[in-house]
Amino acid sequence: MSVQFTTNVGIGSKPARLPARILAFFHAVWVILRKDIRVLLRQPVNIAATILPPLAFLLVNALGAAAVGRNPVALVTLDKGIKGQQMAQIIHNADVFRITDATPARAHALLNNVAVAAIITIPSDFTQRVNAHENAPIDVIVNNLNLDFTNDIRRSVPDAITQYYQAQGEASPIKVTMLETNLRHRDVDFFQYNVLPTILLLLMISGLINGGLSTAREWESRTVKELLLSPVSRGAIITGKVLAGFVITFMLGTLVLLLGYALGWTQPQGIYWLSALLTIALVSLFSAGLGVAIGAALRRVQVVIAVSINVAIYLFFLAGGIGVLAFEPTWLQNIAAFVPLTYGRHALEQAVFYSASDQFVRDMLVLALAAAVAIVLGIFSMRRGITS
Amino acid sequence: MYQEPAYTLRVIWACMKKDIKSALTERVFTIIGIFVPLNVLILLSLFVLSGGQAPTAVVMHDTGPYAQQFYDAMSHAHSFRLQIASASDAQNLISTGKIVAVVTIPADFDARIRQNQPVQVGVQINNLNTDFTNDIRRAIPLSITSFYAKAFPNLVTITPREFDLQPQDTDYIPYLTVSILVIGLVLAGILQSGTAVAREYENETIKELLLSPARSWAVLLGKMLGALVLSIASVIVVLCVLIFVIGVWPVHWGEVIGFTLLALLIFIAFGTLLGTLLKSRQPVIALSFGTAIPLFFLSGAFGPISFGTPAIQVIAQMFPIYYAIVLQQHAFHNFMLNTYGIGTNALILGVYALALLVVASIILRRSTLAH
Repeated sequence: MSVQFTTNVGIGSKPARLPARILAFFHAVWVILRKDIRVLLRQPVNIAATILPPLAFLLVNALGAAAVGRNPVALVTLDKGIKGQQMAQIIHNADVFRITDATPARAHALLNNVAVAAIITIPSDFTQRVNAHENAPIDVIVNNLNLDFTNDIRRSVPDAITQYYQAQGEASPIKVTMLETNLRHRDVDFFQYNVLPTILLLLMISGLINGGLSTAREWESRTVKELLLSPVSRGAIITGKVLAGFVITFMLGTLVLLLGYALGWTQPQGIYWLSALLTIALVSLFSAGLGVAIGAALRRVQVVIAVSINVAIYLFFLAGGIGVLAFEPTWLQNIAAFVPLTYGRHALEQAVFYSASDQFVRDMLVLALAAAVAIVLGIFSMRRGITS
Repeated sequence: MYQEPAYTLRVIWACMKKDIKSALTERVFTIIGIFVPLNVLILLSLFVLSGGQAPTAVVMHDTGPYAQQFYDAMSHAHSFRLQIASASDAQNLISTGKIVAVVTIPADFDARIRQNQPVQVGVQINNLNTDFTNDIRRAIPLSITSFYAKAFPNLVTITPREFDLQPQDTDYIPYLTVSILVIGLVLAGILQSGTAVAREYENETIKELLLSPARSWAVLLGKMLGALVLSIASVIVVLCVLIFVIGVWPVHWGEVIGFTLLALLIFIAFGTLLGTLLKSRQPVIALSFGTAIPLFFLSGAFGPISFGTPAIQVIAQMFPIYYAIVLQQHAFHNFMLNTYGIGTNALILGVYALALLVVASIILRRSTLAH
């Protein structure tokens, strides 16, 4: 009587093999993921170097926020009459300047010492001229070093003048008034607005560098040979690498979002926490996939870091940086339409600032597609590297 | 032990040559390193390309002479990039984020102005952030005041009379790109010198250098000169783009060259110190970007720091980037951004350079390498 020993043949054997393969796959992914995270955690300087730029940027932003849009000026009120005093009061109350009341001599000293951007002088005959319906100029001496804050001054003084006339109510000769409606239900402070692009910059730098390094390091330290000779599938290797970059990046991004929440800068409400976290997750996946692709293509740690930082900064600025895309030239807006970060930023702004899901599906689809493309690129790049 | 000057010079020359040759064997990184400052120049320039003018659609339901004058007043308000559009087109543009404001001039604008009756101009703003939103909120009153000053000079008699301190306005891009030149110097200097030193530790060739009879300062100087040669290549690229492409011509050429070399010396010294402390190229590269870009924003790149908050003023003056920006702005545009004068600003940079050189030398001499 013969006994047949069958291992891999027969009707019942295939279903028994598949779960084992799947388990082996996930086990390999888990091991590679854990290994890469441990290697990273052993290099705290690298973690610091990844998180430092965005945090430092946020700090600078917060420190400088109070001065945005409000230039320092010296106000010289030479008129003792009622109209002159009224105008001076309106300039003080207008909240468009940081005012130093000064004598003419002191004002010129401040201007020459670059302590103020302009001197606003209400002449001594101001009240007399206004009462006589004569031309009553307010003198503005501007240190026109650069057009940005010079134009701020050029806007702010007429704004104060308009407020002066508005204060006269129906007696005001200015009949044209502005009826303002806002698209958003709340104003967002400038430095708060900059927090979200900063998070995106962090996600890009972290994903690209960590994904790239975890891959390139295998070639540079020649441990890729052990990986290839092991019975682990190549899909598991690639998945483990991408997931390692993703986990680290996602955690860093969430940490900064939570920090922003604790400081009162970014406060998503209710379900919009989920949309914010989903956006961060998809951007992390995109950047990690791209990082693995770059790491596998270049295979040298030093070059990977330099290229990754450049790529991150390029993608960040081509998506509008910390500015508003509408202000950029049309050609740049057209390029931004093809940069996934543009959609990530839009989704984060809607969720965090406006508790809205305007074009949420579009944004998520674009990000998911970008992440998928990046992972496919990573797979191709790894396979080419492994083959060569 | 007394060493002949000729020997010391040979050491310096050998170290410099060796570092340049090593950099040339890593061509990809060296080329990236040379063009990084140019990339930063291009990207930060993109940031300010728009010149801060709000893209705005004007819906003119009235096209009479007063309405046209009001439109002209808006176009001269230094604040808008205007386009005339229909109401539906304007709504489409603002909702798709192509513009940030819609100004609607009502159909009875001219009639009401003639009859001296109140008239409201609708302004719909995509108030994404308070910075540009407030610019628009102030630009409309400017337009209104300018409109009245031209149309009814007897009614609105209070007007601003401007005198400029500088002979001409300096556009935002020529101003900012000079500041960006400094960040280019920072990155070029730190990257080239920091990675050169860190490479010695990674390859463990630092042992041979430290055990050799050569003085540590001579070794250091040679490495710094090597980094200087590579950084100069980077700086030449940036200067050529700044001058010949962007069109920002220096007023004082000698100052540009002198201050550029002085600033490079400081950042090369700092990069050397960083490389000696960190002993690995990865964190050196990451930290060079990580410190340079926030410091750039902190150091008066966009305008005099005296216009900023007191905290920024104090912090900025602790770092050499601020003084380098002040000096380069004088070299290019002939204006001073602080009261210290050229000499004092240059002296401060000189002290920074010397201090960093001394500290780097001490750290190198005391450094060890674990086996």
